Amino acid sequence: MPGILLAVILYVAMAIFVIGMGWRMYRWIRTPVPLKIVLTPGPQKASGVLGRLAGELFGFRALAKADRTLWTPAWLFHVSLVLLFLGHLGGLVIPHIAQASLGLNEQQFEHMAQIVGSAVGILAIAALVWLLLRRLLLPRVRWISTFSDYFALVLLLLIIATGNAMRFMGGLNIIQAQRFVAGWWTLHPVAPPRDPMFTVHLLLVCALLIYIPFSKLVHIGGAALLSPTLNQRNNPRQHRYVTTWEKTDGNSPASS
Amino acid sequence: MEIPQLHPDACVGVQAHRAKKELLAPLGLSPELPPDWREKALCKFDELLKQRRSLSLYLDICVRCGACADKCPFFLGTGDPKNMPVARAELLRKVYRRHFTVAGKVAGSLAAGEELTDTVLQEWFTYFYQCSECRRCAVFCPFGVDTAEITMAAREVMASIGVAPKYVTEVIKKAHETGNNIGIPEAAWIDSCRFLEEELKEQTGLDIKVPVNQAGAEVLLVPPSADVFVNTDTMMGYARFFHAAGITWTTSSYASEAANFGMFLNYDQLKKVNRRMLDAAGQLGVKRLVMGECGHAWRAAQAFMDTLNGPVDFLEPPCPEHILELAARYIRAGRLKLNKSANDGLTVTYHDPCNLARAGGLLEEPREILHAVVNDFREMPADTIREKTFCCGAGAGLLTDELMPTRMKGAKPRMEAFRTTGATHLAVPCAICKAQFPVAFKHYGVDAQVVGVMDLLGKAIVL
Repeated sequence: MPGILLAVILYVAMAIFVIGMGWRMYRWIRTPVPLKIVLTPGPQKASGVLGRLAGELFGFRALAKADRTLWTPAWLFHVSLVLLFLGHLGGLVIPHIAQASLGLNEQQFEHMAQIVGSAVGILAIAALVWLLLRRLLLPRVRWISTFSDYFALVLLLLIIATGNAMRFMGGLNIIQAQRFVAGWWTLHPVAPPRDPMFTVHLLLVCALLIYIPFSKLVHIGGAALLSPTLNQRNNPRQHRYVTTWEKTDGNSPASS
Repeated sequence: MEIPQLHPDACVGVQAHRAKKELLAPLGLSPELPPDWREKALCKFDELLKQRRSLSLYLDICVRCGACADKCPFFLGTGDPKNMPVARAELLRKVYRRHFTVAGKVAGSLAAGEELTDTVLQEWFTYFYQCSECRRCAVFCPFGVDTAEITMAAREVMASIGVAPKYVTEVIKKAHETGNNIGIPEAAWIDSCRFLEEELKEQTGLDIKVPVNQAGAEVLLVPPSADVFVNTDTMMGYARFFHAAGITWTTSSYASEAANFGMFLNYDQLKKVNRRMLDAAGQLGVKRLVMGECGHAWRAAQAFMDTLNGPVDFLEPPCPEHILELAARYIRAGRLKLNKSANDGLTVTYHDPCNLARAGGLLEEPREILHAVVNDFREMPADTIREKTFCCGAGAGLLTDELMPTRMKGAKPRMEAFRTTGATHLAVPCAICKAQFPVAFKHYGVDAQVVGVMDLLGKAIVL
């Protein structure tokens, strides 16, 4: 595939991702919340709400209460995803800044990337396989699973598997990859590394970027943070709760 | 409790009786299924999606992880997979996908979208009336997805095309006509209160009032009407408490019902039913509004009233106050003389009504009171109480005979938890639970009694 085409596909995918997510999040935020529906016992103060949301965002607290055998792979998967994102950022987008800020020389930096990247890559695969097996083997979870649930898991598995393949088979020219990425985001695209695994990996990432805004994966746009049962203060008797929907729309059921 | 095997369609035949036009028309609902019901339903659905983030967001973000699947008492009791909260929501979500999302419009069934057909409508009417809006699923959801919000929206869409249960609409109609869910007229309300005064005189030798329409009283108490006719020990418990505390109070024959079945049908009715008690408070010129022992009534009044029909600044805060908050406040201040041994011989445990625990934040006060008035009080297992409490199985409009099979199965987790305590009495401050549990006890062969928290307090108060 001509190098420039791959860069163009990535531009298109990224644009669909950014615009799609922006549109979905804008619609959620714009949609009013007519009533206090906070789950109790809940925090009365804003600081308490921040604590509650942080607990959900970083610790998956509700899930931990629900089922440890689900919490474990779910939390590990999401953490490894964040680490992989940071790894790509540090290793490919801003390698010099990352290396300098960690106070390492080039060799040490590469060595560290090898070790951490390998470990997280394996961890992510293990967590995804666990989640997939859970979906297939637990009758109640299998019953609720749709095509898109398996599709998302398999797509993520393939992305991480191709990434791991490049790392463990050692075929990738990291300098070329860095050049491609630098050219891409400064809008001066250059040819990507000539490695079919790299091409496949990148195309799968493009597919994921396009898929996210139109699927359940849209939850990365702040699902828990925007959720009224979690982000409201439990103070309906201390502060009158009135929404803009009621104030602005004279035909709303609330004012009829 | 053990997770059951899946029994697909186990509950498919259990449906509420449908309301006919004489019940639908007075509530402003379509008197029958219109020929273009599909378009009308989708139009209502669209309207709700734009009005409620809880609907659009929760339909979008569920990842079907299954954390909620084994948390619903109706799934645990029936094994019907469509009673798993995630699957219940999917009944609405699949139509949402087909008609309102890009993926569903483009990819159809591949994106798990489905047309709104007669079969789907039947499924909705079955399974959205096998959800008691208890919100237990939401406690365990990583995004706080609240199936009660989904159920409420589905019911509202159905109501708009004239698909609603006879029971719920009948109760709302009675509430509009008489001020209470039982349909008792003013004269009978006054009579019953007089009768309770006589009963109290017999029990205590004192003139303890159960006032009606007493203008200028300090407190308007709005009890569930069942307290006056069925759970009379609870009503007499309120009267004993107010007498001992020296608070002047009254009931209202205009707003003689705490419960709000509007919450089980649509937003308009929720608001309209809720309005009555504020009007009564204004007319009687009371200073404060106090709610009796009812679960969803507390949610409607505490969380929604000020938004729906406020501002309520003509009443003193906290507005409203729950009778259990008020009583706990008086006990804490040492303003009640109590004799715990009046309840000796009873082994008591406490059932958190869903709406008090998960929607009304009332978890400590009932326990404070029970510790103060009962010597032998014990808790049920930790994963079945407080915000993890199990529904009684009859909330949100399910308390009707034709739904009995579902109700009894839905009560199973609570019954199993109760059995572990060895208690003789189940204290529960909710009129729906109080109607459901005696039937469930009988069904499960449990030898125990249901009692209100205020009943126990009333007996322990030294007058």
